[in-house]
Amino acid sequence: MKTNFSQLTLEEKSVLARLKASLALRLAEEACACDTGLQRACPPRGVSMKISIRGAGPVLGLRVPQGSRRSGPRPGRRPSLLLFFPSAEAAVRVFSGVKGTAIPLPLGAGALAALAFFRKTSSRATELLRAPDTSKETRARLLLAATLYGLEAIAGESYLVRRMQIVPDGVVGVRAGEIAYRVAKKGRIIHVQKDAPSAVAPAAAPDSSTPNALLSFADYQKAIDVLSGKRQAVVALGSGEVRIEGLLPLVQGLFAVLDRLSWYLGVEI
Amino acid sequence: MSKVADERSNAAGSLAGERRAGISGSRFAASMAYFERAAKVIPGGIYGSKSPGFLVPGHFPYYLSRAQGSRIYDVDGNEFIDYLCGYGSQIVGYGNPAVDGPALEQARKGDLLNQPHPAMVELAERLVGLVDGMDWAVFVKNGTDATTLATSIARADTGKQIIVAAEGAYHGAANWCSTNVFPVFTQAEQRDVRFFPYNDVQALEALFAEHRGRIACIILTPYHHPTYKPQQMPTPEFIAAVERLCRAEGAYFIVDDIRANFRLDMHGSHRFFGAHPDLVTMGKALANGYPISVLLGRDSLRKTASSFFITGTYWMSAVPMIAALATLDEMERLGGAARLAALGGMLKEGLESLGREAGFCARVSGPLAIPYLTFDEDTDLYLNQRFCAAMADRGVFLHPHHNWFISLAHTEEDIARTLDAAREAFRELRQQARGADSSGG
Repeated sequence: MKTNFSQLTLEEKSVLARLKASLALRLAEEACACDTGLQRACPPRGVSMKISIRGAGPVLGLRVPQGSRRSGPRPGRRPSLLLFFPSAEAAVRVFSGVKGTAIPLPLGAGALAALAFFRKTSSRATELLRAPDTSKETRARLLLAATLYGLEAIAGESYLVRRMQIVPDGVVGVRAGEIAYRVAKKGRIIHVQKDAPSAVAPAAAPDSSTPNALLSFADYQKAIDVLSGKRQAVVALGSGEVRIEGLLPLVQGLFAVLDRLSWYLGVEI
Repeated sequence: MSKVADERSNAAGSLAGERRAGISGSRFAASMAYFERAAKVIPGGIYGSKSPGFLVPGHFPYYLSRAQGSRIYDVDGNEFIDYLCGYGSQIVGYGNPAVDGPALEQARKGDLLNQPHPAMVELAERLVGLVDGMDWAVFVKNGTDATTLATSIARADTGKQIIVAAEGAYHGAANWCSTNVFPVFTQAEQRDVRFFPYNDVQALEALFAEHRGRIACIILTPYHHPTYKPQQMPTPEFIAAVERLCRAEGAYFIVDDIRANFRLDMHGSHRFFGAHPDLVTMGKALANGYPISVLLGRDSLRKTASSFFITGTYWMSAVPMIAALATLDEMERLGGAARLAALGGMLKEGLESLGREAGFCARVSGPLAIPYLTFDEDTDLYLNQRFCAAMADRGVFLHPHHNWFISLAHTEEDIARTLDAAREAFRELRQQARGADSSGG
């Protein structure tokens, strides 16, 4: 059943705003890492900006180093822009492509360039997800980033408290081709970070560096099919297109959090 | 050459190889085809504990078509020596004529009738006479029915709300005890269920102290058999503490014997551990797979149980009761718990020894008749999954995440063949580990 934004509790509105902002930032970073055009368009000193939403928790950041395929934070680079949203609703509206209030507050030189670049990368991320000629790897990268960072954004909400209590703590390695992540669950927190593909591989001799569980997609297309909802995850699992190994309650517990993510993404504004 | 041997020669390669191949072209093609169809019309395709993700996809069948004795056969025609036994319900073997004969005869005469069949009286008398300390019986269908009724009776009798249970214990799929932890349930049916770590007397004492005057009952399996973890036997101090705390609180002690009943002791698993519960639930092996469970209780709770409106459309059907009576006879004839323990002992000793030979710390936990193997060096169960997959490739059905069951249909030859397969499986695991070591992985 679809839920309208107006029906959400205050906490849900805040979580949704944070989720939308987080996805916009992470997808922008991912688009930069995949798209050489964006890398060329990146301002010479790279881009560092922050987003703040009133009532929606700590500030979120975007950092794109210039000319690098690797996105992520670069120590020492101060943000040049704070994009402030006066309410959760404003943020949800803007990040849903509906008219809303966003206040850009310059923090240093290059603020306008940062804002323009963020708009460009966000728009390009959407294009890449929609365009039929986007490579399978890029599409899988974007979908996987949206899914995992989505989990990270909603994990702490009170709806999931008991669920997160019964899911054991640990690290899940997630792998699709050359894309690899480590998803660490501890208490009510989920932390996502990229990893080397070789570090997220089936372990014939598990040791202390082996993630507690592994979730792997047979190839990029299988990842796309499952993450975009074209292929039921349970069927993909049964058919071997998706594998889970190791501490299954950890992965299965996170699947339940994914259901909640789908609910949030289905909220109508 | 037997089908098991045929399948052995067809055994799939490594997990990685299987992943590349996919399952649709494998020896489980028919299983997969059914599963694809199922996913379109059944939520999850196969839900709950039988879900493919609970096993190791590519190495286990999803659909079985028949079974006989200790063997199961899937829809692709693969044969397995079965150690899951219908999740414990098969205790005298699939298709045992001593049970199926009278059951099918009753089916022809009539199963679900307007009023109970006399077999209900006979079965209640038999169980009350057999199970230690119990004075009355109420028949239901599933374990969940029995445990829910038990906790409800305890609550109604005491006028108190709180149910105490061990962390990780399974008592059914009803909202009060399931892992469906949606806020709408955690704020209602699950609100008054409190958990403590099994065998932890201090934690249990603290829980009883914290909720003094509000605890209706404690529900425990006779020993701890959580999924995904080694099994734990109760310490004598733990059982003594449970009984002491219940007496002091005026709470009831419920033993949920659904999974283990009759495999440890014909008089109830609580007797095996020297416990004295007020209520006992039994099911699964009670009728060798025919659908029936039972709640047994002491006289002190008879009046409250009588005041309950207890009913279910199928709860008094005759066939399972006839089957239960026949199963009890057949268990005794085939040697009962002592025979199961002897077979289980052979399996445990063999598996642990073969594991050691291959350089693994493989340990079989739990009662001999309900074993479960884990690797001390791998609490995340990667090795369990690989071992059980390798065993399934060799025609032996061992669950990687759930305890196993010995039945009275298993033979010494079955155990020997299982151990032959285990020798190869451990060797395969060792080779994979060496390969990983030499490649730096």
